[in-house]
Amino acid sequence: MRWNLAYRTLLHDRGKLIAGLVGVIFSVVLVNLQGGLFFGLINKASLLVDRSNADIWIGHRGMHNVDFPHGIPERFRFVVAGVEGVAEVEPIRIGFGEISLPDGRFEDCVIVGVTEGTDLGRAYEVLEGQEDALQYPDGIVVDRCDDAKLVHPEIGEIREINGRRVRVMGKSEGILSFLVSPYVFMSYDQAVELSTEDPQNASYLLVRTENDSDPGQICRQIESLLPDVSAMPAGRYGRVSIHFWMTRAGLGVSFGAAAMLGLLVGLVMVGQTLYAMVLDRISEYATLRAIGLSERELLCILGLQSALVATIGIAIGMVITVILKTSLSTPRVTIEIPLMLYVGCGVLIFAICLFAAGLPYLRVRRIDPHTALQS
Amino acid sequence: MTTTNPNPNTPGPVAIPVTGLGQREHANQLKSSSAPTQPALEAKAIAKSYVIGGQARPVLDGIDFHVDPGECVFLAGPSGSGKTTLLSILGLLLTSDSGQLFLKDRRVDGLNEVERTLVRRQRIGFVFQRFQLINGLTAEDNVAIPLTMDGMPMREARDRAGDLLCRMGLQDHCKALPTSMSPGQCQRVALARAVINEPELILADEPTAALDGKSGKAVMELLHQLTKEFASSTVVVTHDPRIYEYADRICEMENGRFK
Repeated sequence: MRWNLAYRTLLHDRGKLIAGLVGVIFSVVLVNLQGGLFFGLINKASLLVDRSNADIWIGHRGMHNVDFPHGIPERFRFVVAGVEGVAEVEPIRIGFGEISLPDGRFEDCVIVGVTEGTDLGRAYEVLEGQEDALQYPDGIVVDRCDDAKLVHPEIGEIREINGRRVRVMGKSEGILSFLVSPYVFMSYDQAVELSTEDPQNASYLLVRTENDSDPGQICRQIESLLPDVSAMPAGRYGRVSIHFWMTRAGLGVSFGAAAMLGLLVGLVMVGQTLYAMVLDRISEYATLRAIGLSERELLCILGLQSALVATIGIAIGMVITVILKTSLSTPRVTIEIPLMLYVGCGVLIFAICLFAAGLPYLRVRRIDPHTALQS
Repeated sequence: MTTTNPNPNTPGPVAIPVTGLGQREHANQLKSSSAPTQPALEAKAIAKSYVIGGQARPVLDGIDFHVDPGECVFLAGPSGSGKTTLLSILGLLLTSDSGQLFLKDRRVDGLNEVERTLVRRQRIGFVFQRFQLINGLTAEDNVAIPLTMDGMPMREARDRAGDLLCRMGLQDHCKALPTSMSPGQCQRVALARAVINEPELILADEPTAALDGKSGKAVMELLHQLTKEFASSTVVVTHDPRIYEYADRICEMENGRFK
C-alpha cells in the first residue's frame, strides 16, 4: 500500500518529479566530475612514481614530493644491491632546466634522466618517433600533450636544454607533470651533463624487488644500512607526493568545497521538491490521516518517495557522468573516477535524499486530519 | 433534542439490487430484535469551544447523542451550528473539551493520537463533501486503501475493490483516475472506499453538496443500501432536504445544541 501510494502519487505529478530528479542528477554529475577532475589532477603528482616500474623509491631523508628531490650519493646503489630481496637498483635524476623554443624564447622543464638497458624509471611509452629514442646521442622524449608549450617540436628537431644541444627523438602521450613545466626524458648520463648538481649524486635510487620479497621489510633494511636516506614502497611514495600537494596547495579543500556545494544543491532541490509536492497534497494527506493512516506510515511514504527520486536520479546521473567522462577526459584534463567514488557518491546522495524527506515530514506532522472535513 | 423520523418504514425508498451481502442477516436481526440494544455510538455531554480573538467561543454545548446499530441519523441545521465539529468529534478527528464518547462498549474519548488513528482505520468509514480521493491513484486503488492499510495484500484488495465498484455501476471506471470522472462517480468511489472494510460507523459530511440532484439521490441510495448491507450505523451531516427521506432520524442543531 505504502509503495503503491508513494510511487503512484510521485509519478502522477511529473513536473515536480522532474524537478526533483534534476536536483539529484545535478548533484551526482557535479560530485562525480569534481571528484574525477580532482583525482585526474592529483594523480599527476605521483605519475612518475606510479609508472616507474619500481617497487621501492629511495631518496633523501624526509623526501616528500617526487618532483622536488634532494640528491643522494649514487654509490649507495651498491649498498642497496646487497640487501636481500633486491633484484635490481638503478638511479634516476630529476631536475629543472630550460628548453629553447624556435622563436627564441625558453620554457621551464623537468629533466628526467633514466638509465639505459632497464625499464626502471621509464614512465613514458614512445608513441611517435624512435622506440629507443634515448639510445640516440642527445635524444630526448617529450609528451604530445606539451606540444603547445614546446611550440610543436617535430621528431628529429634540435633544441637546447640548459645551453646544451638535444634532439627530439620520441613522443609519449599523457605523461604530464603536476607542475606547469613539461617532463623531458633523456638518458641518465645526459641528465648529469645538463645538470648543475653534483654529478656524483642521483635524485633517487629505484629498486625492483624479487617476487616473493616484502618491500616494507626491504625498506626498513635499507634505512638501517643507510641512515641518511628514506626508502618507501612505490605506492606509499605516490601517496606521500599526492599528500604534499593536497596539504601545501589546499587542493583537497577547494575541490571538496565544490563537491559539497553540489551535494547541497541536490539536497535543497530534492527537499524543496518533496516539500512542494506535500504542500500540493496536504488535503490528500489529511484524508489519509482521517481514514486511518498513521504518522509513521506517512513518513514511510515520504521516505519511499525520496528513495525513489534518489534511485532514479542517481542512475540517470551515473549514466550522464560516464558519457561526460568518456567524451571530455583528455590526458591534459584527466577525469579519473574510481569505482569507490561512484559508489560513495551514490550512497551519500541517497542518504541526503532520505534526509531531505525530513523537510516535508515536518509539514506532514502538522497535518490535522480534521482538515479533511473542511476542504 | 428534536428528532424526526421522516421514514419510519426503513429501509429507504428505492431498492437497488445488491447481491452477495455479508451481514444483511445480522442487520435485520438487530432491527427486529425487541431487546434493548447497545448503541453503536454514544456521546454524553460533549462540549467543545474554539478560541477566537482571544475568547473561548463554545461550538458544542453539552451534546448528548447516540446512534443505534444499523441506524442512519442525519445532523441538520444552519451553518455554524456545530454539525461538522460534532461529526469530527464522533469520528475521532477532533477531541472534545469534555464529555464521553463510546463506540459500542469502548470508551474512545481519552485515546491518544495513535489509538484514535487505529480506531478510525478499523471501525469508522468517512465520506467527504469533496470526495477527497487520491488523485494519483485509480478508482480501484482508492477504494483498496482501507483494506491495504489493514494489511491485505494489494492484489486481493484490488480484486475486492473492483468487485465493489462493479456492483456500484463503475465497472468501466475501475482503472480511471479521479480527475477523469464526474463528481457523481467520484462520490460513489469515495462511498466505496468508506464501506469496503465494513466499518461499524460511517460518517458522511454533506455527501451530496457537490452533486446535482440526480447524482445526489443515487449516492444516497447507494449509501443506504451499503450501510444496510454491512450493518453499519451512519451519521450524515447535510443541508440538503432532498435526501431527508433516507434518514431514520433527523437531529437538528442550532448554536451548538440540538433543538
